Amino acid sequence: MKRILRDTCILAALMILCVFTVSMIWVGMTDEIKLVICLFILSFVISLANYFIDEYTTLPILGCYAVKYISASGIVMLFGFIAGWFYKSNFWMAFIYVGIVLVMAYFVDAFRTKRDIEFINSKIKSKTVRE
Amino acid sequence: MRIEKREVKGQPLTVIIEYPEWNESVEGLYKKIGRMDLSFTGKCENRSVNIGVSDLYYVENVERKLFIYTRNEVYRFDGAMADIENVMDETGLVRISRTCIMNTDHLREIRQMRNSHLEAVMDNDEKLIVSRKYLPDIKKIFKRKNP
Repeated sequence: MKRILRDTCILAALMILCVFTVSMIWVGMTDEIKLVICLFILSFVISLANYFIDEYTTLPILGCYAVKYISASGIVMLFGFIAGWFYKSNFWMAFIYVGIVLVMAYFVDAFRTKRDIEFINSKIKSKTVRE
Repeated sequence: MRIEKREVKGQPLTVIIEYPEWNESVEGLYKKIGRMDLSFTGKCENRSVNIGVSDLYYVENVERKLFIYTRNEVYRFDGAMADIENVMDETGLVRISRTCIMNTDHLREIRQMRNSHLEAVMDNDEKLIVSRKYLPDIKKIFKRKNP
C-alpha cells in the first residue's frame, strides 16, 4: 500500500510537470503554470533545508520538528512575499499551512519510527532464539 | 543446492562454488562469501592489525579521525568513511549517523529514549546514537537477512 501511495505521488508530480510543460510550450507562461513551478521550487528548497537539519543536528523528534517548522515557515513566508502569495496582512497564514503539514508529517514519522524499531527488535529476537 | 564440507589440513580456508550456469543467484552467493572475508587494517600502538568485518562493532569519526571499535579494542583507521561505505553492500554494516557506521551483526536492541532519541545497544553493552533518518536503512538490512 505504501509503495502504491508513493508511486501515485511520483506519478502525479510527473503528470503535473508534463501537462504544465506542454501547456507552457503551447500557450506560454500563465499564472497557473507559474504557481506550479513556484511550488516545485519551494518544495525543493524546503527538502534541502530539511536534509541539512536531519544530517547536521541530533535533536529529539519534537525539537527536530520545531526547527523544521521555523525553517519551513521562514522559507514559505520569504517565498510567499517574493511570489506575491502573501501580503503584510496575511503573512501569518504561512505558519498555519506549514503547521498543518508538519503535524501530519510528525505523526506519520513517529508511527513509522515505532514500527521500524519493533520490526528490527523482533528480527534480532528471532535470530537470537534460532542461535 | 548441495553443501559439502571437508577438512583439508595445512591449507587456508577455501570455498569452491560449482555451478551449472553463472546467474544472478550464483553471483549473489559469490559476492556474499567474498564480503565475509572483508577486512580493514587498523593501527594500535604502532602495530597494524587486520580486522575482519565479523569482529568490527562500529566505526566512528571523531574530530575527522576514524576509529574502528571491536568488542574490547579500538583501532585507528587511516582510510575514509567512503572507503568503508563502498564495500559494505551485502555485509551487516550500515550507517547510523553522520559520524558512525554500525555492524548490525552485533546489535542487541534499538531503543527509543524518553527524549525520543534513538539508541542502539550492542552485544558488548556499548550504546550508540542512531539518527532517525538512517533507521529505514537498518530495517532494510534485517529485511535482507531474514525476509
